[in-house]
Amino acid sequence: MTDHLPVGTLLQTALPSATRPAVIAVGLAYFAVIIGISIWAARRTRTANDFFVAGKGIGLIALTVASVSVSVSGFAFIGGPGLIYAVGLGAMYIVLPAAVTNVMGAWVLAKRMRLLAEVRRLITIPDAIGARYKSRVAQGLSAVAIMVGIVGYMATNALAMGVVINAIFGVGLGWGIWIGMGITLAYSAAGGILAGIYNDVFQGTLMAVASVLVFLFVLGFGGGLGEISRTILARDPTFLGPWGRLTPLAALSFFFVFSMGSLGQPQAVHKYYMLRDPLQLKWYPLLKTLGLVLVLLLYFSVGVGVKAFVLDGRLAPLASPDQATPTLLLNATPIVLAALVFSGVAAATMSAANSFLNIGAAIVTHDLPIAFGRKVGNELKWGRIVTVLIAIAAAITAQKSGAMVAFLGIFGWGLFASTLVPALAVGLNWQGATRAGAIASISAGLIVTLALEITAYRKVFTFPAGVTASAVAMVSSFLVFFIVSWLTRDTAAATIDPDIRLVMDI
Amino acid sequence: MSRRTTLGTLFISIAAIAAGYAGAFSKSGAPTWAPWLLALGIPVALGAIMVLGALRGNSGIGALRFPFALVILILAIGFGAALALPAADGPVSKLWLGLPPRAAIVIYGIGLLPIIILPIAYAMTFEEMTLSAADLERVRAIGRANELIERDNAKDPRRSISND
Repeated sequence: MTDHLPVGTLLQTALPSATRPAVIAVGLAYFAVIIGISIWAARRTRTANDFFVAGKGIGLIALTVASVSVSVSGFAFIGGPGLIYAVGLGAMYIVLPAAVTNVMGAWVLAKRMRLLAEVRRLITIPDAIGARYKSRVAQGLSAVAIMVGIVGYMATNALAMGVVINAIFGVGLGWGIWIGMGITLAYSAAGGILAGIYNDVFQGTLMAVASVLVFLFVLGFGGGLGEISRTILARDPTFLGPWGRLTPLAALSFFFVFSMGSLGQPQAVHKYYMLRDPLQLKWYPLLKTLGLVLVLLLYFSVGVGVKAFVLDGRLAPLASPDQATPTLLLNATPIVLAALVFSGVAAATMSAANSFLNIGAAIVTHDLPIAFGRKVGNELKWGRIVTVLIAIAAAITAQKSGAMVAFLGIFGWGLFASTLVPALAVGLNWQGATRAGAIASISAGLIVTLALEITAYRKVFTFPAGVTASAVAMVSSFLVFFIVSWLTRDTAAATIDPDIRLVMDI
Repeated sequence: MSRRTTLGTLFISIAAIAAGYAGAFSKSGAPTWAPWLLALGIPVALGAIMVLGALRGNSGIGALRFPFALVILILAIGFGAALALPAADGPVSKLWLGLPPRAAIVIYGIGLLPIIILPIAYAMTFEEMTLSAADLERVRAIGRANELIERDNAKDPRRSISND
């Protein structure tokens, strides 16, 4: 949810140096745990099923914590608080949807995806789309759409990893990128998603603990939320207005894109396949929502708290909004807490990168061959090889200009949302959705997103305040899906196999 | 609530959101009704898609209509209050749990209240309305049958499930 990055505001290209013995020690301990978990997981990864969906053997708690971890990128710890600092409470509309998205995902997708994995050996989101519509074209198109989004996400995550590792160890941005991607690659290639899941459990726990501690520190340092609010209201009441400095349209647009769009995020939806016992889905939304709230406490508290502390002179004015979290950590909090948070940021970016590496490898070795009527002989071997290639490509791309990397990263969330939500989320719950409707909506989402983002990036066109390419692409894709499905409604029944129909009826 | 009604509601709410965005392209800037279309369209769209997911076959959503309706109302009233209430926040304003009133409506009402309602409703109705052990066994039986078919198909690669 927090990977959507407005250009120039969210991509952190530099952090102040945090190279201190305590920070380095915690950082080394963090990486040691990651390596240990990875070695354990690599020994248990024997098949493509293990590599891509952890053999459908993950328990509820592990899956929940892993899902929380992968839902939150480094943006929640660095860029997000910086955005609140810059625009006020309007930035909260990015994360407020967490109150409904997990249970919405549970009702709309979790059961159906998990039961699809019972009737067929599905391991990817395009697999589900292909099975639903009996269409290799739909499967291939959705795979291409996901791959385009992954290219951008991987580059921004590689860059973010480099920034954090450089801040912790002082090794330079280039080396930071290669070290971060190297470690992520090692456990992704060796242990696949199984290593990813259990590293996510560790990383998610670390992020939650760090977030809660920072939240409590900010409240204590500020004399309570009421005191913090009064400090801000005395000098900048707009900051704490319901929209902050954003227009209502802009804030509501954030809410729409990050709520409805959550149903199309492959790094989250893909995890439904992995739950060992589908009956445990009962508690999944409650646990995941509570976990997400804990992790997002830092997002709110640092953004609002640092604003108050700068206004009353306890912190020096910030050189840029993105310095909100580092400034607080390095000037006010105990150093061990700072170390935990910096490691938490590394954790968040590595968690996201691992998920996307795994999904990207599955697309190249599984979905695209199927779309062309072929099958790769040894998916596990080729999955590992492709994982290495994607990681290297991401690390090389991350060395390019920050603006280019930012551009590649910003449309990932919106691209996934506009191409996948109608065909997958609505399509799995509506037997009247047709193959033509799915293909049209995926295509519309892809074309509209890329066209609008590129024209905006090249400044050929400027959106009015509050309107984003992601939002326009998502509503376009929805409307195309409904209209084309209605126009081709006579074909609907023929595109559902009996086993898929059973899953949709339950 | 029938599936057809739910789909129609989803379509109309998405169209309303689209109209809100379209209004923003006006030369004189976004009209005052544009954010209202989103403020009402978003909760209805989210509610409709959740209802769509909760529906089983041709049966309705039973007791779930209460938590769904409540959350749609909370979101709509929350967004509406944020739009409609005048800005009157200052250093001596009364605070609601540490935040000025409109901010408190957004953070606590929109951001936290639904957490108390929906996940608990989901858990309480799970076996009856979402997935039971009997449902799971029906699905697994189909899965086992499919595996046998797949083994037969492996002996004859010309057979395939996909049609295009």
